[in-house]
Amino acid sequence: MKSLSLYNRTSTLGGIYFLFLVNRMQMHYFILIMPVYLVHSYMVWAIVVMGLLSQLNLMMMSKWFTSSYAAKGYQGFLQLFGKRAVQIFAILGFLIILLKISIVTLGYVEMLHSFIFPSMDKKWLILMILLISLFVASHGMENTLRFVVIAFLCGAWIVVLFIPFFFQADASYRDLYPLIPTEWSGQSWQGLWFIWSAFSGPVYLAFMVPWLSSNKKISKYLVIGNMLSIMEYILLFVASVLFYGSHYLRKIDFPIGYMGSYIQTSGLERIDYILISFHMFNYVFDISILLLCFYGAGRIFMRKMKERSTRIGLLSSWFVILISIILMDQWLWQTVPGQKMLLNLQIWIGACIYLLIPTILFTAVKRKESM
Amino acid sequence: MVPYKHYGLLAIVGLMWMAGCSSPYVENNKIEEIAPVVFWSIDKGTEGKLKISTLVPPLIQEKKRLLSKEVDLLKQGGQEFNLIYYRELKQGQLRMLLINEELAKKGGIEKLINTILVDPDISMRVYLLIVRGDFDEYIKNQLTKQENQDYFLYRMLKHYEEHNQGEMSIVNIHKFMKKVYSPFKDPILPVFHSDKNNFNYVGTALFQNDKEVMVIQDVDDNIFQLLDNDHFLKVLAIPKFSISLGRIRSNVRMKLSRDYSSLSLHVGLKGRIEEYQGESNIQSEELLQHLIHEIEVYLEEQTSDLLKRMQRLKVDPLEVGTHSLKAFSKEITDEQWMKHWENMKINVDYDIKVHPLINGAVDVFQNK
Amino acid sequence: MVEKYDPQMKNHQMSAWLDELKQKLNHMDDAEIVEHRMGTSASVYLVYIKTLIDPERLNETIIQPLDRSAGDSLSSCITNAKVSDVISIDDAEQKIMQGFVLLNDSVNDQWLGVQLENPLGRAVEPSQTETVIYGAKDSFSEQIDKNITMLRRRLPISTLKTESFTIGSLSKTKVVLLYIDGLINPEFVSLARKKINSVDFDQFLDSSQLAAFIEDHNHTVFPQFLQTDRPDACAYALGEGKLTLLVSNSPFALIAPITFFHLIQSPEDYFLRWPVASFLRLIRYGSFVVSLTMIPFYVALTTFHYQMVPLPLLYVLLESRSKLPFTPFAEGFFMIITLEIIKEASLRMPTKTSQTLGVIGGIVIGQAAVEAGFASKVLIVLMGISAIAFFLVPNYQVTKSMVLLQILLLILASFLGLPGIVIGLIGILAHLHALTSLGQPYLAPIAPFYGKDWNDLFIRGPLIWMKTRPKYLKPLRKWRQEMKK
Repeated sequence: MKSLSLYNRTSTLGGIYFLFLVNRMQMHYFILIMPVYLVHSYMVWAIVVMGLLSQLNLMMMSKWFTSSYAAKGYQGFLQLFGKRAVQIFAILGFLIILLKISIVTLGYVEMLHSFIFPSMDKKWLILMILLISLFVASHGMENTLRFVVIAFLCGAWIVVLFIPFFFQADASYRDLYPLIPTEWSGQSWQGLWFIWSAFSGPVYLAFMVPWLSSNKKISKYLVIGNMLSIMEYILLFVASVLFYGSHYLRKIDFPIGYMGSYIQTSGLERIDYILISFHMFNYVFDISILLLCFYGAGRIFMRKMKERSTRIGLLSSWFVILISIILMDQWLWQTVPGQKMLLNLQIWIGACIYLLIPTILFTAVKRKESM
Repeated sequence: MVPYKHYGLLAIVGLMWMAGCSSPYVENNKIEEIAPVVFWSIDKGTEGKLKISTLVPPLIQEKKRLLSKEVDLLKQGGQEFNLIYYRELKQGQLRMLLINEELAKKGGIEKLINTILVDPDISMRVYLLIVRGDFDEYIKNQLTKQENQDYFLYRMLKHYEEHNQGEMSIVNIHKFMKKVYSPFKDPILPVFHSDKNNFNYVGTALFQNDKEVMVIQDVDDNIFQLLDNDHFLKVLAIPKFSISLGRIRSNVRMKLSRDYSSLSLHVGLKGRIEEYQGESNIQSEELLQHLIHEIEVYLEEQTSDLLKRMQRLKVDPLEVGTHSLKAFSKEITDEQWMKHWENMKINVDYDIKVHPLINGAVDVFQNK
Repeated sequence: MVEKYDPQMKNHQMSAWLDELKQKLNHMDDAEIVEHRMGTSASVYLVYIKTLIDPERLNETIIQPLDRSAGDSLSSCITNAKVSDVISIDDAEQKIMQGFVLLNDSVNDQWLGVQLENPLGRAVEPSQTETVIYGAKDSFSEQIDKNITMLRRRLPISTLKTESFTIGSLSKTKVVLLYIDGLINPEFVSLARKKINSVDFDQFLDSSQLAAFIEDHNHTVFPQFLQTDRPDACAYALGEGKLTLLVSNSPFALIAPITFFHLIQSPEDYFLRWPVASFLRLIRYGSFVVSLTMIPFYVALTTFHYQMVPLPLLYVLLESRSKLPFTPFAEGFFMIITLEIIKEASLRMPTKTSQTLGVIGGIVIGQAAVEAGFASKVLIVLMGISAIAFFLVPNYQVTKSMVLLQILLLILASFLGLPGIVIGLIGILAHLHALTSLGQPYLAPIAPFYGKDWNDLFIRGPLIWMKTRPKYLKPLRKWRQEMKK
């Protein structure tokens, strides 16, 4: 077995990376289906409220980033929780990451499938996306984390194209009324959870602290990154409400995608093809980071932390993901209830870990310090 | 470092994948082998069937012919055309959907449109047209006279859609469906008349519950463009006063009373007099004011009449109902609104400001 | 490994060395061992290779002074050339091969070497590979000393250090490492020193061969050393905190560490007004992207995404594609290869015939291909645009390697359409991102992100704003201004 230095680090990444990382990790599959879950125009407040709560959560996490345990990585976790607990956490994390990668990939593939290649076998698309993610991930943790800048530059401009929807002739501001919630149902609660879960991406940063710099100034960048995400969510949501009206909106499965297809220029039509393709930068970044986390978690519970990371190890974790995605696609995703179940599961788990992990880490550090 | 050697392993996996899975491509979109359909024309066929037709080959300078088929389902039509034509018809470039008026009156066009809408190949910018008369007849007749008739028709619609020029109501699938699904909004479609030699714009058809209930034409249609659709008219000709107003922009203010029992509609028009054939001396300010007042009264009458007809048929294409929405209170339902709308008192008030006809024009009244 | 001069060898060495030298120079037709009688006293042996030395200077500096001398010591009568001691027989051999004339001083019983190398070389000419309209017109030539002179004139400071190395077991190529001491990050210098010292190969005919041995990544199409023959570009790079390698007998200097963006920038960017320079730079970046993706994009559209083409354009495409026997991919591939053949031929052909080539190429590519039904008109237009766009990239090496990337994207586009192109772009960017040049990231200042350096990235900001040296190079002296040290 040849060793592969996936987790080496030569330099730590500075504060601005937190901005990009937080922002990009909050933009994945969920932003594309977000309007369907929110529907009512007043749910824009849900985005704001949840965004602000997420802000608080990130502040809590920034305490963790600056703590001495975080910088030590695996050893720090051992000191905080002990070996047994860390292993249990690793197994949990292993499963959670597996689920997240699968749903993110399946969701995006679904998008590609329904817009660009409606008659292609989905397995091909899954394979292609995972292959390119493996390629990115094989350059190691540090390079992959740095790749976020490219993902940001190649993906963030998409939002700008949605600004013209605010100025369309049939976009009336009256479509946004009522502005305050007039009725509250289970669906609205779900919308709240959904947004919370959508903002949960940066929680994985908690485990990447050794590669990131941990000076005091990072909380500023965390806040700005989160702010950017909130703005993107609001912009896209309001644009979609203006474009569809909330009654029509709930009948559309990929509102953002269809809005993209409405954009037309004199040289090219169906801009959605380009937008959806370029959105891949985001996914590939997300999937490759999660792939590395997944392999890391696998190493912890297989008790291989002392050995060097290997190519076989990375490849086999990649295979696990590939197989699990295909099985999930076959068994669950292709039926409507199965797909709903998977999405709900991801919403709940995403929301829960975003609630729990920062609190657990925060209290654990506080407890150790007081001891 | 990159594990270069393991790409070999991955390549083997890829090959196994290829052997194990079905081929990735089952669709051939190669541009030279397909015939992208530009329009579907849908008519009522015999025994409840649909008669659909299109022009082939689209977009290519070969001898064209009109294909038409009687089918039960819309998609079936596309399929059957493929069997009789040597290029595969593809729907991804569909630009126009022409629906016969008979069909529109009978209802059921939402289903047709839904069929188009769920096809991921087709964009939501497909124009919808209601055709009065036989469109096939017209196209057949034009085959020899003009090339690319379908393309020029599309160009015309696109020309008038851009910048809302106020000549025609141009509606695409998205705009139509948005109004279908939204409360307080009733969809409209343009109506064209077609016979052997002509194809011309008639007016705007108003829909309620998936059925065409009324068509507004001429001055009514002009007023409709001013009130809602475009807020602009290039020319408003009023033969009664021998006058044409040009380049009119409208500013519409609607005010609903609290209990939704009355609506005051204030329309401000700004434009210029572009033609005058009447006898009155409009160089004189007084007479001009008088004339304008007369026009205002005339438009007010016409508008109230139009609105009354809409009320009678329970259609609200002007989206008056959306004015009942408030920022901080619960919205009323569509049914409730319709009840109010039926019995609503409407005050129409026009205010016209025009640029008089003097600049450069010969003062025909000077010598009188 | 400098050998010490051993005084004990003095007595027997005269004759012994002469014999040994004779043996070494056996079968060398152009080696001459001449005995020169000096007026009264003993004779002097001159050993040299006549093809390496300048015979006129031999006459001027050695023969005539010797004739005129009246029993002075040898070294005192040779006044207008540097005289150095020969310390061993190996040294003697080396010196002979470098164009020295060896003479024995029978009085002091020692061997002396006088360098009379024939300065065979061309005059300073304008650069052929990187032409500019404004800016200096001189360029490096094959003589390394002249090249160093050009740099020293531009940077007349004592902190400009030159370290020389000799590499190649056969070619004995001299390599000079230049840097500004106290400004450059010392890591670069020590890394470069280490790498050059570990080079082990027989022949180095060009600096690019050296680059192949000291670069960080071999399996890539992107050069990690910037090759330039422009002394002003080198001086600018030195001043920014980079290092330069000059290789004897190669007119191209190597600059490192570089980033990907250097390949698209031109030295002339710094001579033009900044809005103009920025505009040109943006056009260059644009044309880089266009030339890379245009043909793949065409293939993606015509193979998969006919929906994206506006109706008026679809007419043209359908019309021009409908009579072709090839698939869009085959058509694109065929045309790219044809164009490469023509480009390559025009380089290798003598200049007098290149005009014929231009005509034939124009007809073959432009008209005949369309009329014979080999390619569509639209593709020819795109091909023309992308071929010209290729030439906008100032670095010729990149232009060559980009064709490979273009073909890669073409293949991906023919498999997966637009998503395929994006997958290819992700792959290329991830690869670029992982590259390093002399240990420094290749995509700096984008990733790693250095916001301050962006004023000299896609745009070329006003010079008065570029108060600091690029941050990603981590120079020891940050400010360009004297006052802020």
